[in-house]
Amino acid sequence: MLGYVFRRILFAIPIALGVSVVCFSLVYLAPGDPLQTVLPPDATAETIAIVKHAYGFDRPIPVQYAIWLWHVLHGDFGRSIATQRAVTLEVFGSVANTAMLALFAVPLSFITGYSMGALAGCYPGKIMDRVVTGAAVIGVSLPNYWLGLVLVILFAVEYMVLPASGMGQSGSAAFVLWHWSDAQFLVLPVITLAMIPIGIIARTTRAAVADVRNQDFVTTLRAMGLGEGAVIRHVLKNASPQVLAVMGLQFGYLMGGSILVETVFTWPGSGFLLNKAIINRDIPVLQGTILALSLIFVLTNLVVDLLQAILDPRIRRA
Amino acid sequence: MIRRLMLAAGFATMSVAAQAGGVITVAMTAGEVPITTGTPDQGFEGYRFVALNLYDALVNWDVSKSDTASDIKPGLATAWHIDPANNKRWLFDLRQGVKWHDGCDFMAQDVVWNFARLMDNKAPQFDTFQFALSRGYLTSIAAVTAVGDHQVAIETKSPDSLVPYELSYVPMISRCRAEALKYDYSGYANQPSGTGPYLFSKLVPHERLELVPNPNYWDKARIPKQDKLVLLPMPEANTRVAALLSGQVNFIEAPAPDAVPRLKSAGMKLFTNIYPHVWAYQLNFVTSPFKDLRVRQAANYAINRDDVKELLGGLMEDAYSTIPPATPYFGHPVLYKFDPKKAHALLEEAKCLPCDVTFVISTSGSGQMQPLQMNELIKAQLEEVGFRVKLDIMDWNALGQVARDGIEKHPDDAAVNASKAVSDPFYGLIRHVAKAQWAPVGSNWGHYEDAETEDLIAKINAEFDPARRNDLLIKLNERMNAQAVMIWVAHDVNPRALSPKLHGFVQAQSWFQDLTPITVDP
Amino acid sequence: MNKPVALAVAEIPADSDFDGAPATKVRGYWQSVGYRLRHDWVTLGFGVIVLLIVLAAVFAPLIAPFSPYAQSIIGRLKPFGWRGHPWGTDELGRDMMSRLIYGGRISLMMGLVPVVIATMIGGTLGVIGGFAGKVANTAIMRTMDVFYAFPSILLAVAISGAMGGGIVNGIISLSLVFTPAMCRVAETATAQVKNLDYIEAARASGAGTLTIIRHHVLGNVLGPVFIYASSLVSVSILLASGLSFLGLGVQPPEPDWGLMLSTLRQSLYVDPLGCALPGIAIFITSICFNLVSDGIRAAMDVRI
Repeated sequence: MLGYVFRRILFAIPIALGVSVVCFSLVYLAPGDPLQTVLPPDATAETIAIVKHAYGFDRPIPVQYAIWLWHVLHGDFGRSIATQRAVTLEVFGSVANTAMLALFAVPLSFITGYSMGALAGCYPGKIMDRVVTGAAVIGVSLPNYWLGLVLVILFAVEYMVLPASGMGQSGSAAFVLWHWSDAQFLVLPVITLAMIPIGIIARTTRAAVADVRNQDFVTTLRAMGLGEGAVIRHVLKNASPQVLAVMGLQFGYLMGGSILVETVFTWPGSGFLLNKAIINRDIPVLQGTILALSLIFVLTNLVVDLLQAILDPRIRRA
Repeated sequence: MIRRLMLAAGFATMSVAAQAGGVITVAMTAGEVPITTGTPDQGFEGYRFVALNLYDALVNWDVSKSDTASDIKPGLATAWHIDPANNKRWLFDLRQGVKWHDGCDFMAQDVVWNFARLMDNKAPQFDTFQFALSRGYLTSIAAVTAVGDHQVAIETKSPDSLVPYELSYVPMISRCRAEALKYDYSGYANQPSGTGPYLFSKLVPHERLELVPNPNYWDKARIPKQDKLVLLPMPEANTRVAALLSGQVNFIEAPAPDAVPRLKSAGMKLFTNIYPHVWAYQLNFVTSPFKDLRVRQAANYAINRDDVKELLGGLMEDAYSTIPPATPYFGHPVLYKFDPKKAHALLEEAKCLPCDVTFVISTSGSGQMQPLQMNELIKAQLEEVGFRVKLDIMDWNALGQVARDGIEKHPDDAAVNASKAVSDPFYGLIRHVAKAQWAPVGSNWGHYEDAETEDLIAKINAEFDPARRNDLLIKLNERMNAQAVMIWVAHDVNPRALSPKLHGFVQAQSWFQDLTPITVDP
Repeated sequence: MNKPVALAVAEIPADSDFDGAPATKVRGYWQSVGYRLRHDWVTLGFGVIVLLIVLAAVFAPLIAPFSPYAQSIIGRLKPFGWRGHPWGTDELGRDMMSRLIYGGRISLMMGLVPVVIATMIGGTLGVIGGFAGKVANTAIMRTMDVFYAFPSILLAVAISGAMGGGIVNGIISLSLVFTPAMCRVAETATAQVKNLDYIEAARASGAGTLTIIRHHVLGNVLGPVFIYASSLVSVSILLASGLSFLGLGVQPPEPDWGLMLSTLRQSLYVDPLGCALPGIAIFITSICFNLVSDGIRAAMDVRI
């Protein structure tokens, strides 16, 4: 087991390095000047040259990468071009805000999706299965940003029961989870965000459970005279590695892929920061955010792999 | 005794009125909280809400009235005049008894220090970021020196009668605070110190800026009448409307025109006013069909501004010139009113039929109004008279790059649709047509060149008598119209919607606005 | 990384695994698939809707009552059921029905083209990776792993954001997003058939690598690849519409559902139903592709 853990961690390092190269070079795909935002529309060539030099953008790109990576390894993602703040702080703050959404969206979608899927998988073809499968496919087919817009119109503008956007009465810095006046800001984004993972997890769980039910050992268990409850327990346990893998990916998605939902709700999380960085062409923020989010994703995959190995000894030997 | 009581009662109500309290929460169109270290980013919205609330410039804008075009007034300088012996040396008398928010006294040396911060890259206080943002306003300044404690002398590279206007865009920040922070300007952003009517209270990056009244503001009439001013960036118009309707904010900038009826039915107060803004196309005078005056005139005749106005729900004024008609130097220029037949005839005469042109436009941006819809409409109108328009659509920053590059790098583009602030004579007129402003040096994107124009500009810069200068500016504006130097479409009217609980807001004819008199009902 | 392929795919409504499926190719396999499909009324029904949407998109110029670009400011934002415009008009007075029909063209293109490109590139790389030796396999699969380390919407937004909006850049970025997943599916399927007896037999009888791939491997790999690709179409439509919504995808005045949703948002309070139409179009198309893909998967997978 230890050997597997070690190999698996070693394996993540080149990926992380590759990710850093992609993040860094992404930005140079872009046409135009990386300093567009800082420069007012009427900036002269002389101004541009001075500013470029001050930001180090006049050096060769491999040198810029080496310097950047060196700083990143020391926890310094550079400074935002648009706001002058340290990117590390910007990224940590926004990831923490996204984590606040995930804190609720993850249990909501995992529990709902898993129960729906397990129920449907245990009664394939029955009415329960059809309802769940239908609901799940709706979940994965809805454009979630659109759902968010509709929810805002309904619950914030028309019925005025929930706030439309933002994070808390006084912004994320003063957000207090246990005060309803702040916590109510979570409701609409969390529901919107959970929709797709609920659908995906329900579908995966249903398929995995139905699949396991058809395997020989289930028949054997039944033949041995086990009660239905015990059989279901075995079935669910055997389906768990698959479900776990998808949950891991959905966790990664909730942490890194909520850009549309955060934009609709002006939730100051990582996706929102990324969108701003793109609009402002703020290269250090863009690089830092993408790097941080994909490293979270790599880390999640690693944890899931290890968990799976614990659940299923066959994986360890492979 | 009774009189005394009444008097006391009177005082009591007065003091209640003066401290009506409450919080103004503004949804700005900016995508980001404007920076707080002096010269702001986010265009003039950054000035409007942040820089001019925290800071003063030597020269301020008078934004107290809604019925006249707003002009400059004394700020941290009480008076200014050109040195009678040297028409390249201005003298500014500074206001005495003004204190920075940190308690230090405002002195002439602070002004000198500020200019070094923005202009001298060897000075310890030099700030590259601020340099980039302020550069455009400081091009004519050669040197700034203190004359005693309460006067500064500002020398220009060449005679420049418009220096007071340029200085109105340069907020003065506290040297005391910057030195205490050892010139760490990202630290300064979290504890800025100015002389303005508001004190910094709290900044949550990307989300909000909170300001509170400065009870010791030197202009007693402008001590804010609220408890707090909260500024939220909300770039998406629909989000702003939803925030106002749901009661999350009580003051929004630029609601979507189509949302106005809904806002009114919810009891919101809508404010509009003309201000120095023009939504127009700058033209390529060298390598496009617009080098021919007739083609430029044809394009102006082809625009049906009534339709544009309909599209915007009435929220615009027709533009037939670079500056709005209320501007003191508007004069009596020739106006190209909608006349498609004449437009077609002009194109025929110019032998440009169909007349192929490429317009560079943006998807959004400060002052761009509803750029996609408006451009699609105008494309259809121009094609009606014989143009063939190709729209090259890009985001606002990429458009800014094209606008900065000028036509040398973009010879195939015939026009660029970057809306313009036209607040003062230089910004309104000169920068668009002067040869010295040819891109990439300045804002003359299409390399317009005209001897008569050059002559007028030279005279304007050397004319220090305001009335005579105004006559020359009128001539310049009339010349620009005769030459049809742009395709003019609309002046924005800067719609704002306020909750019925807000009172006392006066919308000035300016990019800048005064929020200090606003009171808020509980 | 030895996890089952289908499970490693982010945000994709994949609920089956492909290991083992290909080996069950028996005589009459396609007949039985056809039989199952013919009796699956849900799949058939939604398949007909997909077909209608595709036909409407292909024959848009014949069906659409107006040009999707023809504007009339006086006739802007007319409601459902307006004279001459049964589905009303948009913010520039363009006929909604025509724009939705033409919009289907772009949305379907954004759904299909990236998947096809990703299938071709990823599939080829996967087969090579699965069949070739260790070095080539490692090189290909580890590169794919790097792109795999990004949540898909993040990668799409990052690439489109860096390169700028537009249909072509959108297609490039979405293709890049789907390629690693396709590559894995193909690689796993290839690796599984590679060691089967009859391949060994073919090799022993002197068949060249290319011949083996063409005759024996492809047949077994195409199934899972096709099923997987079909499940990506709706994901691609949703992602593309999201890019357009953020201003990173299709640019105006092209009629695209995501973009229409974004621009009509401004007019939400005047014409709520009209503003909802593009969203409904995206939803219906996406759900139909999902269900049809599910149906085909069920029909082709013998074990279910």
